[in-house]
This record gives sequence, structure tokens and C-alpha cells, in this order.
Amino acid sequence: MTDGAPAARGGRAFNSRRRALILAGSAAAMVALAGGAWLFHERRAASRDGAAILSLVLPDADGREQAFSQWRGKVLVVNFWATWCVPCREEMPQFIATQAREAANGVQFVGIAVDQVDKVRQFRRQIGLNYPALIGGFGAIDLSRELGNDLAALPFTIVLDRAGRVAYTHLGPVKASALDALLRNLTPAA
Amino acid sequence: MATLDISRGCGRKRRRLDARTAFVAALGVAILETAVAAGLPNSSAKLLPPEQAFRFSARAIDASTLEARFDVADGYYLYRDKLRFSIEPVAARNVELPPGMRKHDEFFGDVETYRGTVVVRLPLHEPSQGRTLTVHADSQGCADAGVCYPPNPQQLKLVVPTSPGKPGAYVEASPKGWFK
Repeated sequence: MTDGAPAARGGRAFNSRRRALILAGSAAAMVALAGGAWLFHERRAASRDGAAILSLVLPDADGREQAFSQWRGKVLVVNFWATWCVPCREEMPQFIATQAREAANGVQFVGIAVDQVDKVRQFRRQIGLNYPALIGGFGAIDLSRELGNDLAALPFTIVLDRAGRVAYTHLGPVKASALDALLRNLTPAA
Repeated sequence: MATLDISRGCGRKRRRLDARTAFVAALGVAILETAVAAGLPNSSAKLLPPEQAFRFSARAIDASTLEARFDVADGYYLYRDKLRFSIEPVAARNVELPPGMRKHDEFFGDVETYRGTVVVRLPLHEPSQGRTLTVHADSQGCADAGVCYPPNPQQLKLVVPTSPGKPGAYVEASPKGWFK
């Protein structure tokens, strides 16, 4: 750059524009960093394989034993929930809608209730559940902890890809947009 | 008002303002993104373990009465009908829980919840001065951030003072094996 008159005339404007650029740039860097941290946090469990889940056998609300191996090869959304957990109940209509929409794409939701069977049956009827409600009891909390639910709280959701790898774990209600995006990634159109 | 005046200013001021606005906007986005990165309000990183969200303590009021206390952290609440106390080896009798805040639950009907500090008197079956008592509490609660904790058993030991008319000090439940 030369120090010619035209440059000097436009100097201030140029500086403020450059400052804005630098600031915007550093802000963008912060955003990228934060995003990276978030991805790291969300994918901490991603490398784990879902063998612990796929080897499970739990009774459903009708007392029939259900082996998770029957869902091998599907995109499996496993949701730990309970009727005594309001945020759990609140996100279930969204799961029901997604199950109905994505079933043809090989998506299978399975609920594991940290609850009593009569309560689960009653709620299943009330909400019109269209995916299996398995009864995990309070032992299911320990299982979820092994799968990354450090606080042992509900709702806790795990998504396995078709190869049985843990693609996502999340404590708290799942954002519909995040789940939709994830399922789109895991069920590419054939 | 001030904003209006500045926006009417000369071109140079305006450009500066643009730069500043861009910076503030970018910073805002960055802060927002950081909050998202922290996963608020759903991140486990920001959530308390139950024994910290629902701190349990108790003291002896006199030889025949204990007082149990829950300090519920901001943004958390306990369910009244899930709160239970028991004492060993001298049992409690006629425990009356204070009324909570009532709210309607679609599945369970009207439920009552506690926020802040909950104090419960626990009358003992017999005067117990000088004795060591174990107080058990079962509680269950949730965070406004959108998670619920399973029933959480806690316990503590306290000694009932021998001198009459002087309440003992609060004893806090120590964190149990669950999380450490």
C-alpha cells in the first residue's frame, strides 16, 4: 500500500471497514470454536458402539419379551422416559409423528420406560403410542448412565445408525429440527 | 432518541456506527452461539446432580421434634407427593408436609410442587435426647430446563441435644455413592 492522497482520504472509512471485518472475523472464529465444542460435546459418545443396546432384551407393556436385535439394521431411536417426567411426555407426540413419517425409511423408535407397567399402559393408550414401550424400571437409569447419561436424568435419547454405532446421545428434550436433520443424514435416499 | 440522532449524522459517523453495529451483532451472535454450544437449556454440563439441586438437611428442634429441610436450587422443583421421610431407630409420627404450589398435570391431575426452601416438622415417637438418629428422605424433582431426576434417596445422621430448649445445628446429607 502506498501513502498516496486518495488512500489517505479514504483511510478512516477503510479503517472502520477493516476493523469491522476483523471483528466480524474474530466473532466468526469464536462461533466456529463454540460450534466445534458443541459438536465435540454431542458426539462424545459417537465413537461408542451400540452393542450394549442391541444385546438388550426387555419386556414390553404387554409382558412380551422384546430383543433389540430384531431392530438391527434400522436407524434406532431409543428414548428413556417415564410418565412422572413431564418433559418426557411433552416430546413424545413429536416422536409419534416422526415414527409415522419415517417408518418407511427404516427408522424405529423404542421407548424404555423408567416406570411401572400400569402407568405406561395407561399413558400409551392415552397418547396413541405407535412404537414399542418397553419396561426398564429404575434399572434402566443405570443402563442409560453407562451409555453416557452422567446425570441419570430423563428424557435421555440415543440414536444408533444402521451399522449399530451410536450416532447421537442427548439429555433433555430433543429439538425436532435437530432430530429431523440427523435422521435425514442417517437415512440417505436410496 | 440518541440512536435517531446518530443515524442522522454525517457519513463518517454512520460508517463507524455500521462497524460498531456489525461488531455488536457479531458479538451477540457469538455469545448466543456459545450459549447454544453450552447446550442451554438442555446441557448436562449446566445441570446440577440431584443432591445439589435438592439439598437435604435436618436438625433437632427439641428432644421430641426434628426439622427436615430441602433447599431447592433456582430453576428446580420437587414433587410434594413424592416426598417421604423416615427416621431410625425412633420413628416419626404424624408428619405433615406443607402445602406446595398447585399445578395441573394432564396425566396425574392436580399436583403440588415445592421451590426454594421446604421445612417439614418431624415429631418423634418418643423423646430421644442424646440419641443418634438417622433421617432418610426420598424426593423426586425436575429442572425447568426440561429434565427430571429419578427418585433420590438421601440420608443423614444427627444427635439429639441433651440440653432442653436449644435447637441443634442443621446437619447436611453427604453426597452418596450415586455420583461420586
